Amino acid sequence: MVVFLNNEPDRIVEAFVGEYASGKSEIAINRALELKDQGRKVTLVDLDTVEPFYTLRPIKKALEEEGLNIIAFSRSDSFGLGETGAMLNPRARWALLNEGDIILDIGYGVFGAQMLNLVEGANESTDLQIIAVVNYSRPMTGTRQRIKEYVEKLGRVDAIVANTHLGNETTWSVIKEGNDEICRVAREMKIPVAYMTVDEQFRDREEMDLDMPIKYLKRYMPSAIW
Amino acid sequence: MARIMEETRKAFITGNEAVTWGALAAGAEIMFGYPITPQNEVMHYWTRLAPQYGKGFLQTEDELSAGFTVCGSVQSGKKAFTATAGPGNVLMQEPFGMAEAMRLPLFAVIQQRGGPSSGTVVYSQQEVTLTTFGGNGEGHRIVYSTASHQEIYDYTIKGFNTAWKYRFPTFLLGDGYQAKMREPLEMYNPEDRGIEMIDTYPLIGLPGHIGENREPQHLCNIYSLEEELYEVVMRVSAEYEAISPELVEYEEKECEDADIIVLSHGVVSRAADDAVKELRAQGIKAGYFRPITLRPYPQKQLREAIAKSGAKKLLIAESAYGQLDRLTKQEIYGETIKIENLFMPGVGIIDYDIISKVKSSL
Amino acid sequence: MGMIAPVTPKSWYLPSKPHKFCPGCGHGIVLKALGETIDELEIQDKVVFGCDIGCSLLAWNFFACDSTQTHHGRTTPVMVGIKRSRPELVTIGYMGDGGGYSIGSQHLLNAAVRNEKVSLILVNNTNYGMTGGQMAPTTLPGQKTETSPFGRDPELTGYPTKGPEFLAELTSDKAYVARATVAKYKQLKRFLRNALRNQMEGNGFSFVEVLSTCPTNWRTNAQQTWNFLEEEMEPYFPVGELKSPFGKGDK
Repeated sequence: MVVFLNNEPDRIVEAFVGEYASGKSEIAINRALELKDQGRKVTLVDLDTVEPFYTLRPIKKALEEEGLNIIAFSRSDSFGLGETGAMLNPRARWALLNEGDIILDIGYGVFGAQMLNLVEGANESTDLQIIAVVNYSRPMTGTRQRIKEYVEKLGRVDAIVANTHLGNETTWSVIKEGNDEICRVAREMKIPVAYMTVDEQFRDREEMDLDMPIKYLKRYMPSAIW
Repeated sequence: MARIMEETRKAFITGNEAVTWGALAAGAEIMFGYPITPQNEVMHYWTRLAPQYGKGFLQTEDELSAGFTVCGSVQSGKKAFTATAGPGNVLMQEPFGMAEAMRLPLFAVIQQRGGPSSGTVVYSQQEVTLTTFGGNGEGHRIVYSTASHQEIYDYTIKGFNTAWKYRFPTFLLGDGYQAKMREPLEMYNPEDRGIEMIDTYPLIGLPGHIGENREPQHLCNIYSLEEELYEVVMRVSAEYEAISPELVEYEEKECEDADIIVLSHGVVSRAADDAVKELRAQGIKAGYFRPITLRPYPQKQLREAIAKSGAKKLLIAESAYGQLDRLTKQEIYGETIKIENLFMPGVGIIDYDIISKVKSSL
Repeated sequence: MGMIAPVTPKSWYLPSKPHKFCPGCGHGIVLKALGETIDELEIQDKVVFGCDIGCSLLAWNFFACDSTQTHHGRTTPVMVGIKRSRPELVTIGYMGDGGGYSIGSQHLLNAAVRNEKVSLILVNNTNYGMTGGQMAPTTLPGQKTETSPFGRDPELTGYPTKGPEFLAELTSDKAYVARATVAKYKQLKRFLRNALRNQMEGNGFSFVEVLSTCPTNWRTNAQQTWNFLEEEMEPYFPVGELKSPFGKGDK
């Protein structure tokens, strides 16, 4: 029987789920680096089976140099596997056997958080937090009703990260209005909003009048292929 | 028609989603498709949204079938479309040819991937020749090459209108980068922008009673005699040439006094735009020309840009090995401007690549 | 002596008559049965008739019904596209054995599996007629054609395709699958009627293969033609209803 390092004191296991292009990968990378900067040992797992060779692959080396343990396909793994079809990295399946914190970046798809069925021990783990990333500027989560329907479809969700932005056209009012709506839905659904994420260019600017912590994001994904 | 957008709104989406939302906003009624990367999310989002708006979808057995079901659907009067890429685009040349021959208002989105053959699933501009002149015909098609998500949305709406107004198969030519990139755009209902959507109409399955108040429709695409076909092709060619001036679209910047004009299309023109700005900042007289329609090609406008600038060189930059180059040369035959090339088949081109090439060319 | 005017179905398009099929060709019989069936079901205004490439194409303006030409093998998807868009129409795809069983087999198979509500009529004359008598998927073992000049050798080219048999296996109980022959006119009409009814009643996919004659490419006289149809083809391709939502099959 495989023994998982479950329930190890202080262990952090977080899975980021959510809409396509909602910001899961960016937030997962930033979260992993944040924990690493606290002196923790962190494994970042690319569980995007939709575009497995195109998400973390191009920046894998750079992140490893930052001190993260990365479970993602690398360029050599993808040789002759041009299609971006559903591929599960065997190391991702056993990711929870790694020591230390585990950050799981889950690809989008109709199965939502069921993707975690593919990770051995995930559903039994008492450490696991499933965090839904929501960007109000994404049309599929662009009204309160749609957010509610979307989050309900994901399955188990322990917390929400509000990540409203419009890329390089983001303004404070876009962030505020969107995240306000997300908070209202979260309250209705009785799911806590863990924090909101905002591009670091907004650091030291006016404070948001929202009752939630802010984490500033450094952008890594623009260096990825897609 | 039900309003798709409650209000005009900024959104942050991928290019494939922009196709889906644009098609919904354009009043598209049914999509036929077959999975191929990098266009899959067009289908993913269409299938998620279609039931909410009472739209149809069929995943066919292959791209031949996807193209031919669209042909049948538009014959019956429905605003139908498909999306494909690479080898799928190759297979669809057969139904696209039928749409050319029968003047069917087919609309298709092509998200180019690397070639030849299965190539890569990522990106290229190697489907220019195929999309403009594929099939065993004369290229009687209208091809819009987009460069941003806003354009994907705008030209998806426009593409349906063009197809139904002129009844030539119409294409939106994107690529894997545009398909998967994320950027903001404004989504709107066409009527809010004063865009009138062209009504669709059936070619078969007409109302009325045959022999009483209408004749049966017999749609034909094969002819017994050379002369019959000759007349049809000549007539269609004349019609195509007659409408071409009102269809051509292009973008031109800084060509008045340019020593060198950078010519590119699609996503590469974003790099070209940045490059020209940077070159100008450095005191180099570079100009920018971008055909938006690759068929019909804005050849008159390009000739004028060359003439008025007195440019000595034309740099053609593309993520292919000379497909835009060949297309351009045949369109501006007779011009004596020296043509330089930046061919990077299947890989992206950034402003730095173009700046370096321009500097080494001057 | 005065000419006797033949009785023609109302749904026939008379300006295209006399039709262009060869003397002794079975297509005329199939199309007469189909015309009479369209009349009896009173669906002339609702029919969309689609023709494949090959001899079946000669039927493109045969009916006073809306009709469309397609490509070789592609009639099935064109009919599917129309039916999916306008379910109130009655779509009839008309094809040969090459178009249906060879170049268009993936469309035929998948339309059947998806239970597309179209009616397809496939005329089996054991060869490619229009292109000059080449071997077809349905060419009988030992049968000479222009591309099997020493007779079809099953060791090299396999055995004839049994279309209705494989479609019957693939389809749901709502499908209608039958094989008719131009030698049994009443039965042919009954099968065609069932195939159209099955679509009109919204059940699903309907398919009728019709054994037919091609004296031009068989190089047979009238007696030899009929003998080949009844004594060579029918034993290999049994006639009857293989699947019918309308009750017990008619063998």
